[in-house]
Amino acid sequence: MPSTDSIADSIIDSINDSISQLIFPATATAEVAAKPSEIEFAVMHLFDQFRSPLLRYSLSLGISVHDAEEVTQEVFLALFRHLQLGRSRQNLRGWIFRVAHNLALKQRYANQTSRDRMESGETIAEQHPELHIDPSPNPEEHLSSAQRQRLLQAVLQALPQTDQNCLRLRAEGLSYRDIAAVLGISLGSVSISLTRSIARLVRADGR
Amino acid sequence: MFRQDLHISDQELIESADGEITGRRAVQVRAHLAACWSCRARMADIESTIADFVRSHRQALDGQLPSSNGPRALLRARITQLAHETKVHSVWQLPQFTSAARIAALSVAIMGVAILAATFIGGALVEHSIHHGSDSGVASIERGALPERSLTPGATRSVAISEVCSMPHEEVVREVPDSIRKRVLQEYGIANARPDDYEIDYLIAPGLGGVEDIHNLWPEPSETERWNAHVKDALEERLHQLVCSGNLDLPTAQRDIATNWIAAYKKYFHTDMPLSVHSHLGTASTGRGDQQPKSKRSAFS
Repeated sequence: MPSTDSIADSIIDSINDSISQLIFPATATAEVAAKPSEIEFAVMHLFDQFRSPLLRYSLSLGISVHDAEEVTQEVFLALFRHLQLGRSRQNLRGWIFRVAHNLALKQRYANQTSRDRMESGETIAEQHPELHIDPSPNPEEHLSSAQRQRLLQAVLQALPQTDQNCLRLRAEGLSYRDIAAVLGISLGSVSISLTRSIARLVRADGR
Repeated sequence: MFRQDLHISDQELIESADGEITGRRAVQVRAHLAACWSCRARMADIESTIADFVRSHRQALDGQLPSSNGPRALLRARITQLAHETKVHSVWQLPQFTSAARIAALSVAIMGVAILAATFIGGALVEHSIHHGSDSGVASIERGALPERSLTPGATRSVAISEVCSMPHEEVVREVPDSIRKRVLQEYGIANARPDDYEIDYLIAPGLGGVEDIHNLWPEPSETERWNAHVKDALEERLHQLVCSGNLDLPTAQRDIATNWIAAYKKYFHTDMPLSVHSHLGTASTGRGDQQPKSKRSAFS
């Protein structure tokens, strides 16, 4: 089972605090209200840092590039309001991904109901059929780097949605605790999911 | 109880590599790995696969990500607007207000945000229905009159109002280079279209801070009768006037024209149909096969 002890928590907190300190060097305590220009600076800084990860994650949830871009805009506008209201600055990375996850799913739901354009559970593989290849590896075969990557994508698409989301969030640098919060699952489930998925990827990778 | 000779599970190997194990157990895992080649080999397999996965994850998606310049400028403009609105309405800085007044103010603020959100969502739904013709009231919009949003979301640069309002005419009407024209047609899957059939138009006009970027250009069909380029010209001119007279802020103008220029026309001209003086402008000379965004020629001059 994963470690849930307070030492781990405090270490994760201190990492997040240091991000917050970097962004708000002069006004780290919640009691001191940051000036709008400082908040704006912080939000643009975080936008530069997290736009691509958020777009990638939103796209992987099955929405269009345009919708993903709009979701990202909404996330950072919400972040601006969040900071303007003097709310918690701890773990902003986790907060950003949580909001993006919810908005992207809401967008996907809206697309499904109002336009009936996307089939339920449509994935990138369905939008890009060229990614579909036989996932069974041939141990004798030496896979080129491109082949290996296509194979890994195919294995990824075959995983349950939660396992895919866990892997993608981890690939974007989120801690287990952040992933658990974004997906609304337990810390233990994150660890088990990642172990299961990585084991499959290792097998497919032929290593 | 941990025994040094027992191998480490995959789960613990991964947690350890991810820094999710701390304290005494982390020390024990490290000690075991130092001693055990078998576990180290498994750990190496896991790390290599993770590296391969991260590469493939990036490669599968990064190609689809548009440049960040337009979205960055749009976000900055939206934030500036939001900050301005909040400053105007904020009562939080004033200590003489009672807590009841603060609660009332908060309620008003929440309602404001809710109304904004409703407007935004409403706008999005209207736009979706336009694209898909599900609303009979707007079903008559000709095909191609609106750009495909996933391909042409609009892109702007950071620009001061004074600059927009004093922009030289040549900059407003500058031609779209042939290479970009080709790319736009290719993106829309009409690479072989006759030059007469489409003109490459800016979604957000240069005179409103729009940039010559593939995300801000779309092939506008020359044959469109009702919601045509002349109608859009009129809208651009109207928005430009409103912005430069201080009656409309630039980010709103940019957002409205980028979200759905036809809806924006209806909003700013208070009409459901294009005014005939706009839609029939220049129909006598329909030879619009040149590569210049003709709609810009008369704009803001």
